[in-house]
Amino acid sequence: MLTVTGLTKSFASPEGPLKVVDDVSFVVSEAQCHALLGPSGCGKTTTLRCIAGLEQADAGSIEIGGQTVSDPARGIFVPVHERSIGMVFQSYAIWPHFDVFVNVAYPLQVQRPRLRTGEIEARVMEVLKLVGMDAMARRPATRLSGGQQQRVALARAIVRNPALLLLDEPLSNLDARLRDTMRKELSDLIARIGITALLVTHDQAEAFSMAHRLALMNHGRIVQEGTPREIYARPLSAFVAKFIGAANVVKGTVHARDGAMAKVLVNGSGQEIAVATDLAAGTPVEIVLRPEKLSLQAAPAPGSIEGRVASVTFQGSNIEYAIDIGGTVLRVTAPADQDIAVGATARVRIDAANATVFRAEG
Amino acid sequence: MQGSGNLDLGARLVLAFGAGIAIYLILVPLGMLLFAAFRGPPDFLPFEPGAKWTLENFRAVYSEGALYSRILPDTLIFVVGTVTLTFIVAFALAWLIERTDLPGREIWFAIILFPLLVPIPVLAIAWIFLMGPNAGWLNLALRWATGIEGPGPINIFSMPGLILCQSLASVSYVFILLTAALRTMNPALEEASGASGAAPLTTFRRITLPVLLPGLLAPLILITLITAEQFELPLMIGLPARIIVFSYRIFFELNPAGGLPNYGGAAAISLPFIAFGVLLLLLYNRTIRRAESFVTVTGKAYRQRRLALGPWRIPALIFVIVYLSLAAIVPAIVLLWTSFFGYTLPTSATAADFSVEPYRQLFANPSFWTGLKNTALVAGVSAALVTFIGAILGWIISRSEIRGRRLLDFLSVMSVGIPAVIVALAVMMLYLSVPIGVYGTVWILILAYSYRFATTTRLARAGFMQIHKELEEASAISGARWLTTQLRVMLPLIMPALASGFVLLFIVGVREFTLPLVLYSQENVVLSVLLWQLFQNGQPAPSAALGSIIIAVVLPVILITRRILRAQSVE
Repeated sequence: MLTVTGLTKSFASPEGPLKVVDDVSFVVSEAQCHALLGPSGCGKTTTLRCIAGLEQADAGSIEIGGQTVSDPARGIFVPVHERSIGMVFQSYAIWPHFDVFVNVAYPLQVQRPRLRTGEIEARVMEVLKLVGMDAMARRPATRLSGGQQQRVALARAIVRNPALLLLDEPLSNLDARLRDTMRKELSDLIARIGITALLVTHDQAEAFSMAHRLALMNHGRIVQEGTPREIYARPLSAFVAKFIGAANVVKGTVHARDGAMAKVLVNGSGQEIAVATDLAAGTPVEIVLRPEKLSLQAAPAPGSIEGRVASVTFQGSNIEYAIDIGGTVLRVTAPADQDIAVGATARVRIDAANATVFRAEG
Repeated sequence: MQGSGNLDLGARLVLAFGAGIAIYLILVPLGMLLFAAFRGPPDFLPFEPGAKWTLENFRAVYSEGALYSRILPDTLIFVVGTVTLTFIVAFALAWLIERTDLPGREIWFAIILFPLLVPIPVLAIAWIFLMGPNAGWLNLALRWATGIEGPGPINIFSMPGLILCQSLASVSYVFILLTAALRTMNPALEEASGASGAAPLTTFRRITLPVLLPGLLAPLILITLITAEQFELPLMIGLPARIIVFSYRIFFELNPAGGLPNYGGAAAISLPFIAFGVLLLLLYNRTIRRAESFVTVTGKAYRQRRLALGPWRIPALIFVIVYLSLAAIVPAIVLLWTSFFGYTLPTSATAADFSVEPYRQLFANPSFWTGLKNTALVAGVSAALVTFIGAILGWIISRSEIRGRRLLDFLSVMSVGIPAVIVALAVMMLYLSVPIGVYGTVWILILAYSYRFATTTRLARAGFMQIHKELEEASAISGARWLTTQLRVMLPLIMPALASGFVLLFIVGVREFTLPLVLYSQENVVLSVLLWQLFQNGQPAPSAALGSIIIAVVLPVILITRRILRAQSVE
């Protein structure tokens, strides 16, 4: 179990101290995988490094498996090597002067009191088998492929049964095809050994498929936390909606209210979209529309807006249309049997229940 | 990869020309040397009428008792002492500047480059002014402070003095190699050790040191080789103390005290020296390959975590400042002072002692203007030639499958293993035997200087390797011939690497002293030789004036060099 409360960390910069982690709190339950998701520079890696003990936090407390490892207010800082953690680095950090076996055995070799050699060997081989590297135990580290390095890094991180496994962008150094395979393997393995894990990633697909819960970070703060389903279904801001899905964002202004409903005038087109919102008339807004929730219609109908087909992309089971509505391009996913030519007029049907409205940022 | 089969005519001509020139500049003088060792009588050139095959040269040279009782032990002490001191100081400096929060790192880095850019005779006379047993500033200050009688207490003309000066001169080079090695270490390797439960000391012992080891060993091997080849300081500081090292022994055969030059003896004594150099270079190459295999696992240049020095900051700063004072700052001040005040000390100087007469004398000396012109010409033309040929070699080695490219690679690497004094000897014998009229002119210097291909070949090769082969193929598919592709596509891309190589070689050329001394004539004098002659002929003030002028020219070059080194570390 991992408990982070009010974690804050600043770095010195030419323009004065820069707060990279700002009052971050979250809990990872026993044997759960939690993801910190966000764009680069959002503070997720610094949060992870504070938890590992590679950075010293300025404020807040960190508790790993019931032990407080960092709390500046109480003068507590447990150095990295005394924390019960395992970590997979982004570059894997496989030691080039050791072979596979020694790379994995190292955490056991440096343990005090000393373990017996036979004990170490049995445990290392067990873990290497788990990651499918037992046949390559004596291969020099300089002769490993990216995927093999990743497996060795993982084996090294779990070999001493730490209370917490930290994963820093573990898949970003692999090519796309291998990344999908390794994501599945990594996910299965974490579930099988039942370890508490914290995953840092900028890739929403990775976070969604591997984590039980995830926290989305931006500018050093957690902007939304929940299960992948919750976050996908109910984003709390346009930033979250944009970051987690390939969504359309339409800018406009609320101009007519009617009870819980309102009409939003789309910028540059003169057309309106009906949405459910309680924002006052005149408020600039962003409407998030998912391509798979939109549909194309042949005839004008209430709740549809008109545009010109800018491009058609055949994707096998379906077709993606780009519809230009007065300068705003809407992507619409339609069944492959629907066929509309480029340049034709098309009507996009928008269901108010699938349109999420946010006050425009900035 | 292209075999020679599918290269067009232009390609074949250019590549053959480059390879031919390189082989000529390196192998022909060496071949001459090999012949000379087995031809006698000793004062005859190998192909002079009357010269015959003989082993007499070897017998004469290797049966000499002094070789075993003095020259070898002196050389050994000199090399071991210098390498040890140089490496310890350079490692401490590199560690402090790359891995700790030492204040003023940028400034120290720039000043450390100074001894690397100034010709050795400039430094040597400054150190003699500073640590000469009778009138050295440091000795006068120590005598005044302690009240003891002169001469001394420091005597620069001794083995410790020679080792100290050679180390002060060599630290910069090793420092640069070591900082590069320290920078390529991925800090995550150390962090992963911490995250595995290893205490900091365990991490240092089991991870940091072993990972760095090949990167540290390679500079150690190189500096051993370079020290063994040194000629300048053994001549200027060792000889007055009757210390004779191997390289000076070769020079002595050519300039015996009253007698004819002993070509055969000099050649015979050179051969094992070259074998020793090649052996060390092979060892160096192996180590470098291992170091590179360690680096490629993880990537390149990293931002390192810096160790907080805390209370150690003061002793660390004192160490850096003492080194820089001795190696750069004080020598520069002493030279500048001497150029205006002669031997008058700052403690007793009055305004009346100030004089620009040394500069007036220097400018009135026609040798100064000849030397200036020659230095620029020889350094410039040889640097351009070597850069051009080095680029062709780099292409052959990295891009083609032409047979013999490994031999070219070996030749180019080996070129740094041949001591300047031996190259000078070989070139001298070659152009004394081949009457094309270059002996005694600046052209023999240009031919002699142009043998160090290792630097540009390596830079060009690294440059070519970074350029994807498809860029070249795309040009060919667009219909360009080989030469057009090279000129329009490859050359612009590789230009930064070549420019760096040119600047570094130009600096090496300006600093060169051994080659122009051995091949000296009235006509081809260069500034480094002129400076030493002025000093030897009892004209300390004009020689100090010349040294000051050289330093003034070098200072802006420090900034350029710093830029080149930074650009390389980013690559």
